Amino acid sequence: MHRGDVFRMRHSFVLSSLVCLLIIILLIQAACCKESDDDDDDEATFKDFNLNVGDRIDLGDYQMELIEIQSVRDGLVVMRISKVGGSLDEQRALLLDSANNFDGGAEKKGVTITVADIFDEQSAKVRVEYLPGIGTARKRTSARPAAVPDKPELSVQKIFDKSQMNVGDEAKVTIIVKNTGTGQAQSINAQDIPPLPEFTYLVGYPPKIKETLDPGESDSAAYIVNAVKEGSIQVPSIVVTYTDGKKNSKSNSSEPFNVIIGPKSRADLVISVADTSPIALDEEGLLNISIFNQGTASATRIEVTGEVSPPDGLRATDLDKSFFEILPGDGANYSAKLSGQKAGGYTIHLKASYDGGDGYVIREGTAQVAVLEREYKYQYLLLIIPVAIIVGWIYRRYREYKY
Amino acid sequence: MLNVLMLGVGQCGNRILDSINKEAFGGNGASKLAKYYLRPKFPSRVETLAINTAVNDLKELRFTTAKDRLHVPNLHGVGANRNVGKRAFMDNRDMIMGEIEKRGNFDVAFVITSTSGGTGSSFSPLLINELKRQYRNITIITVAVLPFREEGSIYLQNAAFCMKELMEVEAEGILLVDNQYIKRFSGDIATAYDKINGMIAQRLLFLIESLDSEMLSVTDLGDFKTVMNGGLRIGTMGFYQADSKNLSIRDAIENSFKPANLLYPANVADDAARAMVIIQGSREHLDVDEITKEIERISASAGHVFKGIVVKKGRPKVLSVFTMASAPELESIYAQAARGMQDEKEKRSRARKQLDDAFAHIEDLEEIY
Ligand SMILES: Nc1nc2c(ncn2[C@@H]2O[C@H](COP(=O)(O)OP(=O)(O)O)[C@@H](O)[C@H]2O)c(=O)[nH]1
Ligand SMILES: [Mg+2]
Repeated sequence: MHRGDVFRMRHSFVLSSLVCLLIIILLIQAACCKESDDDDDDEATFKDFNLNVGDRIDLGDYQMELIEIQSVRDGLVVMRISKVGGSLDEQRALLLDSANNFDGGAEKKGVTITVADIFDEQSAKVRVEYLPGIGTARKRTSARPAAVPDKPELSVQKIFDKSQMNVGDEAKVTIIVKNTGTGQAQSINAQDIPPLPEFTYLVGYPPKIKETLDPGESDSAAYIVNAVKEGSIQVPSIVVTYTDGKKNSKSNSSEPFNVIIGPKSRADLVISVADTSPIALDEEGLLNISIFNQGTASATRIEVTGEVSPPDGLRATDLDKSFFEILPGDGANYSAKLSGQKAGGYTIHLKASYDGGDGYVIREGTAQVAVLEREYKYQYLLLIIPVAIIVGWIYRRYREYKY
Repeated sequence: MLNVLMLGVGQCGNRILDSINKEAFGGNGASKLAKYYLRPKFPSRVETLAINTAVNDLKELRFTTAKDRLHVPNLHGVGANRNVGKRAFMDNRDMIMGEIEKRGNFDVAFVITSTSGGTGSSFSPLLINELKRQYRNITIITVAVLPFREEGSIYLQNAAFCMKELMEVEAEGILLVDNQYIKRFSGDIATAYDKINGMIAQRLLFLIESLDSEMLSVTDLGDFKTVMNGGLRIGTMGFYQADSKNLSIRDAIENSFKPANLLYPANVADDAARAMVIIQGSREHLDVDEITKEIERISASAGHVFKGIVVKKGRPKVLSVFTMASAPELESIYAQAARGMQDEKEKRSRARKQLDDAFAHIEDLEEIY
């Protein structure tokens, strides 16, 4: 490598480092200058505070206390601004989002206060602007309890006594309104609308709630609906509107929820017949019949009739039976007597007619019954007897001719 | 329906009776085991009874039921002695007759016996008398078997005396069977006897069947009696069954009278007094013209000929029965018997004389000890 190259390289490195250094110094200096400029120029600064009623901001000799939220709706907040020494003691209603100057405002070594936001009847967000020279703004939380404000608060609930129902079922809807606030709620109006097409409203609709509710007081109203259409329904919330003592109107609503309406409940009978073992000819057997209601409603006036086909050869007694009612999920059992008179296969048709909730329904069931040929236990006699007869016969002849 | 009693007396009678019972099972074609699965089928109500003093002879029977075998107890048998036989019969008469009476009433009885043995030849004449006493209107036919001429003088003598007695009793007639004819059959004596017994059985059953059938030309028990009463009241029977090669009814009738088909060697043309012909066969074989012509031909020499025709499916069968006006063969038997008896007598007296001569040697001597 040439000495000249090395030099050149070193030279450029030093140069670039210097430039960087210069830039950094300039930047730091700019920042410092600005600060010192602010200090020097007494540039105003600000700070935001979330204040509850009674809370105070201390800044130098200034004390700024949130007295009252006069109207959330109108955006009026009352604050008291005082100065140690008594040179300033002023209670002023401040309008939301408008700057209010005290002692000439922040520009003139006073303070400028702006209500930035009103959270509720008890709290608001307040911005204080001032020159840093007069001190640092600090929040002093009020030790004394806030005066009981006139602040009614209604909770509202809408309750279905079942979340799942069937067409035709009735449900009780209860509306509960409770004043959980501190002031009396007035002009209470519960609007449970609109009426839903899935229901017919039987009694108590629309629900009526007291017009006024003292704190802690509650009222309820109930009405009965009847499901007429199946489906999954989102039951809309009920909205309660009311006003407090200052005629501030407020509202609250219940949580919406879902109700499932299933198809109309019906009785559904199933006839089942236990497997019958084959019956021997001229012997008797039992046919066990059970009827189960797998539906959702009672079956009433159940008439079971039975028929055997072919009609000859198998006699069945007590096949017909009637029951007054079979509850859903319940069943009934009975047995019929069978007696086989002719060998063969038979089918027993059972027919149950019943009132399933909306009219008569017919359900059928079948059972197969076999009548067996008589079992010949002594079949071997078929062989032995003729042989014995023949032998006997021959022996008799032998004896007849034996002299 | 005829009530028929068939009595087989003595060994010969028993065996012929057994053949008759066998015939009732289906004749010669009958299996030896037929009696185990068949019932004997007689054309009429036929009762058979085998009577004998010899148990062994009764035991020998095959087709006669045990209850149809009557043993007449006699201490040592009768030998061939007819006098012993007669005494045995008289001693057991009530028992024998009681056994017959048990079997009910009868229109006709056949008493079958050999003439030459002891039991049959002595029992039969007495038995016939008893039957006649017992059953007023019974027709009794004796079937009498003559011995071989070579069988010996005692048999011949027995035959001669037996025949004499049989002719004297009140029976309606005698049907002769001559064992001499056995010579026609080859083979051992037992099968020869079976053959001739079968022939007798066949003829007798055919006769009974015919007498009990509806006949075209009436021949009944009365006619049969008339025939048997003819001549010496001794007759015989012939039988012929047409073979398929010659179905002529005329030839069948003629053949039924041929000596080869008779049971006794008689000549119908020379000896017959009365005759009866019973013809059986399918309608198409029974040509009335032919029958009449042949019957006329026979009656020309044999006197009256009764004829009976039974229409029954099958080849023509003809049974001929005739009684004889003369019996030359029988006469020769008597002659032979007499000669035999004479010889016997002479032999005996000669022997006696020789013995007497021998005794003469010791006439005056005493036994010395
Ligand atoms: N046709 C025929 N003749 C017989 C038969 N058995 C024996 N005889 C004959 O009968 C004669 C003997 O008589 P038999 O009946 O034995 O004597 P019984 O038993 O004492 O009466 C002899 O002439 C034999 O030839 C037989 O089965 N058939
Ligand atoms: Mg003998």
